[in-house]
Amino acid sequence: MKILVTAKRVEDPESKIKVKPDGTGIVQEGLKYKINPFDEIAVEEGLRLVAKHGGEVVVVSIGGKEVHEQLRHALAMGAHKAVWVNHTGPLDQMGVAGLLQKVVEKEKPDLVILGKQSIDDDQNQVGQYLAEWLGWGQATFASKAESFDSENEKNKVPALVVGADNKTVRVVREVDGGLATVECQLPAVVTTDLRLNQPRYASLPGIMKAKSKPIEELIPAGLGVDVTPKLTVTKMSAPPARKAGIKVPDVATLVEKLKTEAKVI
Amino acid sequence: MSTLPDAFLRALSESFPADFCTRDPDELQELGRDWTRVYAPAPSAVVLPRSTDEVARFLALCNQHRVPVVPSGGRTGLAGGAVAKSGEVVLSLRRMNRIGEVDLLGNTVRVQAGAVTEAVHQHCAAHGLTWPVDFASRGSSQIGGNISTNAGGVKVIRYGPTRSWVLGLQVVTAQGEVLELNGALEKNNTGPDLRQLFIGSEGTLGVITEATLKLTRIPKKLDVFLFAVPDIAAVLRLFREARRAPITLSAYEFFTDRCLLRVQRHRGLRSPFDAPSGCYVLIETEGGDPETMEAWLGTLFERGLVTDGTLAQSLQQAQELWALREAISESLSATGLPHKNDIALPIAALEAFCAELDAVFAARYPGWEICLFGHIGDGNLHVNVMKPDGMSKEEFLQHTHAADAALFELVQKHHGSVSAEHGIGLLKKDALSWSRSPAELAMMRTLKRALDPNNILNPGKIFDL
Repeated sequence: MKILVTAKRVEDPESKIKVKPDGTGIVQEGLKYKINPFDEIAVEEGLRLVAKHGGEVVVVSIGGKEVHEQLRHALAMGAHKAVWVNHTGPLDQMGVAGLLQKVVEKEKPDLVILGKQSIDDDQNQVGQYLAEWLGWGQATFASKAESFDSENEKNKVPALVVGADNKTVRVVREVDGGLATVECQLPAVVTTDLRLNQPRYASLPGIMKAKSKPIEELIPAGLGVDVTPKLTVTKMSAPPARKAGIKVPDVATLVEKLKTEAKVI
Repeated sequence: MSTLPDAFLRALSESFPADFCTRDPDELQELGRDWTRVYAPAPSAVVLPRSTDEVARFLALCNQHRVPVVPSGGRTGLAGGAVAKSGEVVLSLRRMNRIGEVDLLGNTVRVQAGAVTEAVHQHCAAHGLTWPVDFASRGSSQIGGNISTNAGGVKVIRYGPTRSWVLGLQVVTAQGEVLELNGALEKNNTGPDLRQLFIGSEGTLGVITEATLKLTRIPKKLDVFLFAVPDIAAVLRLFREARRAPITLSAYEFFTDRCLLRVQRHRGLRSPFDAPSGCYVLIETEGGDPETMEAWLGTLFERGLVTDGTLAQSLQQAQELWALREAISESLSATGLPHKNDIALPIAALEAFCAELDAVFAARYPGWEICLFGHIGDGNLHVNVMKPDGMSKEEFLQHTHAADAALFELVQKHHGSVSAEHGIGLLKKDALSWSRSPAELAMMRTLKRALDPNNILNPGKIFDL
């Protein structure tokens, strides 16, 4: 089967992120970048499915030449080929979904797996738009029932199971208060939650092999998509600094403060 | 709890603030020990000065009344250097944790002894600078302790030990005199460098209260690799290659599969590799040219120098790989009782030493679990022997103590050191003569008697008088 996965380039959350004083964006100098963690999980899940069912994983990213880093990372993990939508400048979620729709129509995958959201602007909309515009079934927030810290992690029932006839996918998804299992006809769109899997490390042989894997370049105009944002960011600001905690001498004072200051009891 | 002289206690309550001294049993337990869990803490009091002046007046008082003092920092030491087991007064510097402004022209910062290493790192990072002494206990260890133990850590191969990164020191002597040594001078040839005397002397010659630290720029780009190799010989072969490669090494660490298993058991961390391997090597490189680097990496696989490898693709992955190495010490203690040795060898002697090490293990510890890891890039090897299940602690300690002699004999033969970075403290006193000659020991005793004639500063540490 053919699986299309996404690899958005986002700021590495381990680097120090500062908002520009004028509120027009974040300070980019000195920042490190990586694959959106939810997308990294999507790449991993695609690779696991292909290892089981055969086929190929195609990874797509949208952005300037710098997104080659993220595409190469996914290729080093084991993806077979990459599609680079060469676009610089702002994009909103509809622009992204529109571009992905064209890539899907061109690549004709059986399954699209993408992160449920990207950690830079936390929209959580692209997968849903994409499924709607393609007219495909969608299963969002694919997750796993158990923690993957245990030794048996690899033996557990995976959250994404493709039917024996390769025509359906059963997805365990995380919902408020529990898990829901849905089944979709293929082709379908699945978005990944954090607990779906633990992405593998790229091996050095994999990193070197990735150098010679193909990256196909597409441009928005060539795809016939108008990506003019309908949404603009007017201002960014850092969350207010947390106040330092205080120490109380005894339980009585604590209870008193919870009553009179925090007003929680 | 031993009794302190009445006159001393009276002076203490008259001349110092009410909260200067505590005899709270919990505090005594906690501040009376370090990460060495061999000794029972038994200090008679803990004092918590807020200024150099208080330290000076306090030491003068101790000297007058012959009250022994254990200077105390973050207490992350592994040789018992900060243990108070005989009724000493613990002098904790934790309240003196001020970090001054970074001098951006001189690339220095003045800090008090109680400043936590990680806090200093964060303070300087805001200016793109760092104090490049770094190790797993950075979140607890304090600058004063780092200096008095000449701490090593994971970046010694690139930057050298603490000694190389201290420009000036403020030291209080046993008599309560305050010495300002070397200020912030890079160059100062005006006789013997007294500052260096106090660095690494484990609080036996004076109490460090402030330091001017030398800073350097934070490297722009660090690449973190983890390699799988079959055995220690392969670790050393790879090291030989790495030393000659067109890369700047900022760390070369190794650990055996035994260590990794303990880390996985304790911390639940995962290995990046599908198949286990005998040894693992963590290499960190600084700002290399990607193409040169890749060409070099390619040859490693072609020539069979490594069996598998990975390169961190994000800061998070880099931290995860580092965690595999940095969690070892903690995981060994959490999952068993390790007998620790921290030895150093001349780099050129490592291969010969390691070849003979197996014979020592086979003779002294047949079938025992030995966890080897360390900063092999600077010749430093941590040898941890785990207590077998079912053996009593006493029997274990007796056995390891006897077996140490065989290990130290080998260390001596190859002109190594019985304590690379952990210090001597209480734990390695018996081993000191394997690394220091009688003439050296006599000179150290002469120094101690001259600077601290009443033997009040950390008595019984490093050597007995």
